[in-house]
Amino acid sequence: MNKLTTFLTAATLVAAPAFAQDDAWETQGLTDDAITIGVMGPFSGNASSYSKALIGMMAYYDKVNEEGGVHGRKLVAVQEDTACDSAKGLAAAKKLISQDEVFMLQGNSCSGVALALRPTIEEAGLPWIVAHAVSDSISDPLAANIFHGVPTGRANGYAMAAFVLSKPDTKNVAIIEHSNDWAHSYSNPARDYLKEHGVEPTAELTMERGQTDATAQVLKLRQNKPDFIIAALYEAETAIFLRDLKKYGMGDIPVMGTAGTDLENTLKRTGDFETVQNYYVIHSYVDNLDGEKMKPWGDMIHKYYPDEELSTFSFVSIGSAEALVSALEAVGPDLTRSKLIAALEEVRDFDTGILSDPITWTPEDHQGVKGSAVAGFVDGEPTVLKAWGQPY
Amino acid sequence: MSTTMPTSRQRRLRTWAFWAVPVLLLLTPLATNAYTQFIINGMLISILVTLGFTLVIGNLGQLAFANTAFFGIGAYASAILSAKLGLPWIMTIPLAGALGALGGFLASSAALRGIRSYYLAIITLAFGELMRWAYLHTKPLTGGTDGLPLPRETMFGISLSDDTLKFYIFLAVTVVLVKATLNLLRSRFGRAVMAVRENEVATASLAIPTARVILTTFIWSGFVVGCAGALFARHVGHVFPESFGMLHLIASFAMVLVGGLGSVLGAVLGAVVLTALPEYLRAFPGMEELFFGLIVAAVLVAMPLGLASLLRRLSPIFVERYYREES
Repeated sequence: MNKLTTFLTAATLVAAPAFAQDDAWETQGLTDDAITIGVMGPFSGNASSYSKALIGMMAYYDKVNEEGGVHGRKLVAVQEDTACDSAKGLAAAKKLISQDEVFMLQGNSCSGVALALRPTIEEAGLPWIVAHAVSDSISDPLAANIFHGVPTGRANGYAMAAFVLSKPDTKNVAIIEHSNDWAHSYSNPARDYLKEHGVEPTAELTMERGQTDATAQVLKLRQNKPDFIIAALYEAETAIFLRDLKKYGMGDIPVMGTAGTDLENTLKRTGDFETVQNYYVIHSYVDNLDGEKMKPWGDMIHKYYPDEELSTFSFVSIGSAEALVSALEAVGPDLTRSKLIAALEEVRDFDTGILSDPITWTPEDHQGVKGSAVAGFVDGEPTVLKAWGQPY
Repeated sequence: MSTTMPTSRQRRLRTWAFWAVPVLLLLTPLATNAYTQFIINGMLISILVTLGFTLVIGNLGQLAFANTAFFGIGAYASAILSAKLGLPWIMTIPLAGALGALGGFLASSAALRGIRSYYLAIITLAFGELMRWAYLHTKPLTGGTDGLPLPRETMFGISLSDDTLKFYIFLAVTVVLVKATLNLLRSRFGRAVMAVRENEVATASLAIPTARVILTTFIWSGFVVGCAGALFARHVGHVFPESFGMLHLIASFAMVLVGGLGSVLGAVLGAVVLTALPEYLRAFPGMEELFFGLIVAAVLVAMPLGLASLLRRLSPIFVERYYREES
């Protein structure tokens, strides 16, 4: 008996530091008055315009802090630059995790960087909310600590096809796309959705990047007479395609574009309203960027970042920050990393008031946003639509 | 700038110093965390990239910019051999080096046809861009824009995602390749390399096969940088085409110039300083590129022969002589 007692005492003494270490890990980056959040993004380099998403998100942290924080704790952003480069992004992640010892991570704009970070962050185990990058592979297959807080490429592709099929009597759908992965990330899920609904694309055409003429593609489409065209093209090529479509008398065929194009920018590029009047784009928000529902968010960003010029990226990460705050509130003052992960998995149909679709995270599915609205011109005005002819 | 020749005692000291540095470096994991270890690992890769680059533009005197192509070839070779053929990553290092050497052979063909100066620069730049295009458009092999992840692997029961284990492997590869390059440069062949740089026609008149010298230097440069590519693939764990573009080339060129053109010591110094510098500049988000540019420009204005010249001024043991020194 004495031997057993001695053994158990010794085992407890040996195991105690390990348990203590687990406890310390659970609350790393947490104090009585602060929660440190690592915010990674391209704050420099060619893709630095994406960092506007993270500025919007940090403005939301500031708003929460001004209102007293979450259970008395302020959200403290520790900003690190990835320059949209995988090596630099990995250095940023390792710095935040092992040197700054942040409680959690939120952000990331470039899918390539986020994909490179996934193994490191999955191994580290701290909660990570992906707030801008869209690649499905970041959060699928499921990783216990990785949550996606924006519509993924698949969600956007499905939303495009759903909008196309919401137009009554749409049977004949054509697809035109670039031959790169970016375009396929939209067009392949759209194809899957069409197939699930018994529609096979009747024409599948390619328009290469940098092409300045779409006559060949448009003439093929003229023979095909589609009811709707899905265009997975960058903005410059979209403008060329729409111009040629109108030139050959097919301007009345509706065209569904990706989130990579902006409705009003496309109008500016073509310089002609008639050319874009039947063009629709994926739009993740509840309203136009200058609409009534978006104004408070723009004002919030300007309150904390007065010189910030707003763009379509400025608002995209705010929704996931709201969902985070809601989960932190649900956990209560006795916060740990595991408790936060559990609370995030309880987020259901969370209406952010900014993203067009709610956020739902479950233990089986961490891709939180399953759809997106569409923007198009209705009576000459840019309008956010739920479905064909149905304003949001 | 005048430098004093090292004495035989100083030369012995230099040999000791060469081996003492990596031996001391073996202790660094005791004082680092995952982040600082990751940066040190990045420095070792940069040393090899810069070494391969300076061999061609500094020692051989050819204005060739295919370095990033060799680097990408090595990285993709390692990733493809690991991910598609299931080879253990460690075995892919010499194979990636061999494919980098093949890249060197291809790049040297332009130089062998008498193309020099800016024309060689443009052709080798185009070679790099062609390789990047190939990474982007051969999706079944390279993963296209999604890149190619390396499989998770263990060695001696330790995960290869562990930065300390990677450090010891990277250090061993770096020491072997730096020492081999130094030996090459101190050999008869190395002297021929520098003779070609000084005057190719005069070198040929001495019955030195200049074409073979050029070819071999490109191949060795490709091998060294190809091996660095394999290390890089494991370092980041996921290879993307964007990593092998003009920005990487410019950064490597800056390392060569800041360290000192044609100097092995300079390659090491340039790589270490310019890998560390952006990390120090993280404290100034959005201003890093500006500060980085200013600091590089300031070093080049103050020390046109690079950081290696500073050390040479401090002590003769840092003087690099590639001919037989009398004892």
